[in-house]
Amino acid sequence: MMVVLELFLLSEACLEARSLAVAMGDTVVEPAPLKPTSEPTPGPSGNNGGSLLSVITEGVGELSVIDPEVAQKACQEVLEKVKLLHGGVAISSRGTPLELVNGDGVDSEIRCLDDPPSQIREEEDEMGATVASGTAKGARRRRQNNSAKQSWLLRLFESKLFDISMAISYLYNSKEPGVQAYIGNRLFCFRNEDVDFYLPQLLNMYIHMDEDVGDAIKPYIVHRCRQSINFSLQCALLLGAYSSDMHISTQRHSRGTKLRKLILSDELKPAHRKRELPSLSPAPDTGLSPSKRTHQRSKSDATASISLSSNLKRTASNPKVENEDEPVRLAPEREFIKSLMAIGKRLATLPTKEQKTQRLISELSLLNHKLPARVWLPTAAFDHHVVRVPHTQAVVLNSKDKAPYLIYVEVLECENFDTTNVPARIPENRIRSTRSVENLPECGITHEQRAGSFSTVPNYDNDDEAWSVDDIGELQVELPEVHTNSCDNISQFSVDSITSQESKEPVFIAAGDIRRRLSEQLAHTPTAFKRDPEDPSAVALKEPWQEKVRRIREGSPYGHLPNWRLLSVIVKCGDDLRQELLAFQVLKQLQSIWEQERVPLWIKPYKILVISADSGMIEPVVNAVSIHQVKKQSQLSLLDYFLQEHGSYTTEAFLSAQRNFVQSCAGYCLVCYLLQVKDRHNGNILLDAEGHIIHIDFGFILSSSPRNLGFETSAFKLTTEFVDVMGGLDGDMFNYYKMLMLQGLIAARKHMDKVVQIVEIMQQGSQLPCFHGSSTIRNLKERFHMSMTEEQLQLLVEQMVDGSMRSITTKLYDGFQYLTNGIM
Amino acid sequence: MAQVEKRGGLLRKSSAYKKPLKEKVVLMYDEIFMTEDPSKCSPRFWEELFLMKVNLEYLEGKLESLDGEELMKIKENINCLFQHCIQALGEEHPIRVVNALQTLCALIRGVHQKNKSTSGFDIINMLMGFDKAELCMKNLMESLDSLLCAEGSESLKSLCLKLLLCLVTVTDNISQNTILEYVMINSIFEAILQILSHPPSRREHGYDAVVLLALLVNYRKYESVNPYIVKLSIVDDEATLNGMGLVIAQALSEYNRQYKDKEEEHQGGFFSALTNMVGSMFIADAHEKISVQTNEAILLALYEAVHLNRNFITVLAQSHPEMGLVTTPVGPAPATPATPLGTTPPSADVISSVELPLDADVQTSNLLITFLKYSSIVMQDTKDEHRLHSGKLCLIILTCIAEDQYANAFLHDDNMNFRVNLHRMPMRHRKKAADKNLPCRPLVCAVLDLMVEFIVTHMMKEFPMDLYVRCIQVVHKLLCYQKKCRVRLHYTWRELWSALINLLKFLMSNETVLLAKHNIFTLALMIVNLFNMFITYGDTFLPTPSSYDELYYEIIRMHQSFDNLYSMVLRLSTNAGQWKEAASKVTHALVNIRAIINHFNPKIESYAAVNHISQLSEEQVLEVVRANYDTLTLKLQDGLDQYERYSEQHKEAAFFKELVRSISTNVRRNLAFHTLSQEVLLKEFSTIS
Repeated sequence: MMVVLELFLLSEACLEARSLAVAMGDTVVEPAPLKPTSEPTPGPSGNNGGSLLSVITEGVGELSVIDPEVAQKACQEVLEKVKLLHGGVAISSRGTPLELVNGDGVDSEIRCLDDPPSQIREEEDEMGATVASGTAKGARRRRQNNSAKQSWLLRLFESKLFDISMAISYLYNSKEPGVQAYIGNRLFCFRNEDVDFYLPQLLNMYIHMDEDVGDAIKPYIVHRCRQSINFSLQCALLLGAYSSDMHISTQRHSRGTKLRKLILSDELKPAHRKRELPSLSPAPDTGLSPSKRTHQRSKSDATASISLSSNLKRTASNPKVENEDEPVRLAPEREFIKSLMAIGKRLATLPTKEQKTQRLISELSLLNHKLPARVWLPTAAFDHHVVRVPHTQAVVLNSKDKAPYLIYVEVLECENFDTTNVPARIPENRIRSTRSVENLPECGITHEQRAGSFSTVPNYDNDDEAWSVDDIGELQVELPEVHTNSCDNISQFSVDSITSQESKEPVFIAAGDIRRRLSEQLAHTPTAFKRDPEDPSAVALKEPWQEKVRRIREGSPYGHLPNWRLLSVIVKCGDDLRQELLAFQVLKQLQSIWEQERVPLWIKPYKILVISADSGMIEPVVNAVSIHQVKKQSQLSLLDYFLQEHGSYTTEAFLSAQRNFVQSCAGYCLVCYLLQVKDRHNGNILLDAEGHIIHIDFGFILSSSPRNLGFETSAFKLTTEFVDVMGGLDGDMFNYYKMLMLQGLIAARKHMDKVVQIVEIMQQGSQLPCFHGSSTIRNLKERFHMSMTEEQLQLLVEQMVDGSMRSITTKLYDGFQYLTNGIM
Repeated sequence: MAQVEKRGGLLRKSSAYKKPLKEKVVLMYDEIFMTEDPSKCSPRFWEELFLMKVNLEYLEGKLESLDGEELMKIKENINCLFQHCIQALGEEHPIRVVNALQTLCALIRGVHQKNKSTSGFDIINMLMGFDKAELCMKNLMESLDSLLCAEGSESLKSLCLKLLLCLVTVTDNISQNTILEYVMINSIFEAILQILSHPPSRREHGYDAVVLLALLVNYRKYESVNPYIVKLSIVDDEATLNGMGLVIAQALSEYNRQYKDKEEEHQGGFFSALTNMVGSMFIADAHEKISVQTNEAILLALYEAVHLNRNFITVLAQSHPEMGLVTTPVGPAPATPATPLGTTPPSADVISSVELPLDADVQTSNLLITFLKYSSIVMQDTKDEHRLHSGKLCLIILTCIAEDQYANAFLHDDNMNFRVNLHRMPMRHRKKAADKNLPCRPLVCAVLDLMVEFIVTHMMKEFPMDLYVRCIQVVHKLLCYQKKCRVRLHYTWRELWSALINLLKFLMSNETVLLAKHNIFTLALMIVNLFNMFITYGDTFLPTPSSYDELYYEIIRMHQSFDNLYSMVLRLSTNAGQWKEAASKVTHALVNIRAIINHFNPKIESYAAVNHISQLSEEQVLEVVRANYDTLTLKLQDGLDQYERYSEQHKEAAFFKELVRSISTNVRRNLAFHTLSQEVLLKEFSTIS
């Protein structure tokens, strides 16, 4: 991420050509090389062109490293080429390919360096070098004609405004290999996260567009793959998924397939990456402590002549011992994903939800045996290792013929996935055994407490110590002395009965109090959903996330570790998530546009991992249940449910929930309109704990709609129920809603290109139903109504809202869904 | 060598029915039973001996015919034979190893036969000689260990296990088997674990290995430090523990399946299903008997694992989806005689643990569910001594489970819902519940169902007091967990309450008969205290406020029973009889129940009087109850939520000794059947050379 970018300009005696070398720097910055760049700056700089020459450093502190040897070799190759060109036509193309030929006018902006070799840093990728030699000639040929135009282009490219979105757009639209190559290099200087967003676009271009684009992109991809295992995985998966629409014969030899193979073959494993010695590893005390403990334990337990460790060595080969030279670095993760998918496939064959749930739980418990392992959840935002799947928490989601399911995954956060050791396994009951009945100090309420002040009792207040695993003594397994000890264990029962007989003061309680406490405590959790075997996910999703985390943490043998985190993921098998990914990107783009334009619209893009053309994972929206579930469980109208959950009309909580509802509703209405999201029944609309609605399932967008029945002709779904929550048609909130929509549309229109571009590039080579027909992009652009005035737009919004309100088809579609799928 | 073997075979066949011609091996045996050293005249005597097919009947018969003194005369030769057997175990050719193993079996068994009363030391002396015994046994155990752990023939391993089982069960009382002292010193534990941790070997030998382990653990359990106990208690390798769990689960589910088949066979008759089934229990064929007996051994193994090893508790909840598959092909050991050793088609059970079968009918199950089903069958009928033992052991295992925190956590896990088809005894006054309509519930509901089922079906003259006490204890322990962890189980508590009240009724109506044999007051006290638990701590674990009302309703409805109980215990506690103290405890415990009855009954009567209703409906009674809580004061009793931990040594030692003895006998009997049919084994190896 932190990249040192250096642009070197090589100039020759004849000014005919200048080559701009973009050298990428996952460089070890040594103090020395800085000098030449800063020293000769004096001349014409001072203008912005300086940025081209000077060192652009982002986050100097942390530098990823390329093998110096490789780099040096690459440099030498490049130098040779330079020399060659020196002698010849005097075009020098250094390693990185872009040659910009500037008219004399721009001359001043270009720094001439007389001594190119001294400038060369060790940063070159051999990839870059080869690409360079390939494009150099072509670029030169064209350069004369376009020099003027390109000089302006160069200015643009150098300007601060040039962002990743523009880069992608030029990469896609430009037919100039030179430009493409330049942008290919320029990619290196964007922030990794920014580029990551466009990864599907980059890879789709790589697969489906011509060679020049591919050549421009490849070095960057390869470079990033070397850096990050997660990036490698994403690339490999996306390459596979986006290649799948090609004809099978061409697919096999396509570039995408080749690059995929390269990534999977592990050749891109960073050469420098030597697994650090365990002693040096940064966080050994958290991850490894359990193993230490186990060891101690067995040692202390081993009485006299028995040494357990030697015994176990002979039994099953201990899978927890990590292989130092594991075969392929992506292998464990792919295996992990594969087994999750296999579970999904097997679940799909079972007829009832109940059977599915049971099977899921048992399958996951088997999976648990193989964890912890060097695997991670690609949807997470931080480096971690998966240590456990709390299998009993997993639920099967509602789907008619497929079996998507939601799992929770316990992970241990780590600084660096590659270098941190995989945490040691802690047996399931390790934590629990400490809290077993006999070890607990009597944690229930003693009778004094009971008799005295007895407000609502929190779960466990002061018995934290009893729950911690630190007490090794407690952990020790009962040795046979137990038999001798247990006699000391005088019958509690009899002792107590005796004391009670001669007891001091008898304690009295009122029966009414007991009854009252019972109803009070039950009243505390009124909003929990009831368990329904036909809809097992409702209960699981309704439980507040924080509460769930706490609960699972308590029950987990890893829960005591400070870097323990809980993640969740929906595994979808048999569904194509490429459209979902596209929708995610559009939503994300709209979100940032609205943020930039300060329109308070609220949407919640959720992360998508495309695994193949028919499988993937989704990051679930936490604290949200579908409106269908809300209505079925509560048997209330949406407004009444809001009142129940958040309080009466005038309360702060209700008002803020209502505002959230309006803001999210407006946001999603625009999304639904722009993307033509269909299949909007209440099972596909979630409601979160703060009142936001969240649309999910973007299976039907743009040019596709379910079974093309022609239902849902309205612009978006707006039922009277929704309007009721907003306070009715005449309310302020409803006007606010319309106003938000207008502002949102204006803002989106302003940045239409950014949105359209995402869709347009993905259309390349795609067979996805959302691109069906030839007018997808044109229609999409038309929905932004570029030609309208703001007044006209306002009218349009009014019309759309009116139309949707009155839309008979929405109601019809809901009725249809109720009849066919039982969705309320 | 093969030729020699073949000739031997031919000879034997032809001579089977013609007496005059004696097998060569028999002649050689005869030589051993002389006082002279057989190798004197033929130096290669011992080498040749192990090439001959063993004639177990002859050898054993010969040994059995000799008493101790006679044996002592030929001690040298017997010792020699023993030693050479052990030597032969190290040989490369499996034929020799097989013959040596079988000869050892015959030796050990034969020598014990006539010398049941002889001390263990004398037997060691006869077999090996005191001076050489230690080395001898060390070599033997090491050879067996390496044979079991090597990548060798499965049938050879099986034979090794048989030999070990033979050695372990050769005496009725395992603790008197002094040879086992050497097995303690030279541990075979690791080999057993290895067998259990590898799926292929587990499938072949798991059953024998588990039984062997269970028996070894019981050797001088209470007198000395048994290293097998120590080691078993600290195993934490999941593969091994799971392997053990699988073997146990398979054996139990095999039994369940057989029972179900039987039951289905017998159904359809118009006569009461009861007589049919009870009949089928007793007129069981040989096969059925075997399976009943062997399951005791498995149950013991389950008990030892649950009791000794805390890590094993997790295995209980471990799902075994593959279980449904073991319908016919590979059953546990009882089925093995049918399928010749080593020839079980490997395809039968190759489902790897990851690839699960796709059969939709197969409900995923786990060891605990299988065990509960098994218990429900076994506990149906406790008249038979074996079944009484099994039923008791089941309840003991449940007690251990109910005490374990982790086990409780998954028993009460709201996310782990299962449909458990417990077997219910068909009784005249109730219909057999339809299996399909069972709801899917947390596992603890099945445990409670099982307990309720037990309570209502065993009120009989031969009152199983001990089992009842255990049963109530299990319920109590579960309630303690729920109270402590505030688990609000959606269970129909009413069934439990009425079962308990009925039990109290039964105790009172049979007071005189029962008092002659049992102290019924401990049981009564436990029952009353369960009610006290509900009354005073109901707010912490009851699912709804109305369930608390229902509790009161039930007590008020059945007040007659409590009244009678009170007058009975009052009578006995004022007399200076032997029950004075026990009865007075019950009187004290009844204080809250009596308070409830005395508080609400007048209120209900006046309500009826005011409204002119002769018979109040349930709803009306509940209304009165709800209205009058506030004027009722209860006394908080001590120690309601405390219980005595299960402890084996002091209270159960006698039971386990008896149990192990009966298991030993059964294992030995079945072994005799197995080891003699080794033709296949020989065939397998005769082709190797």
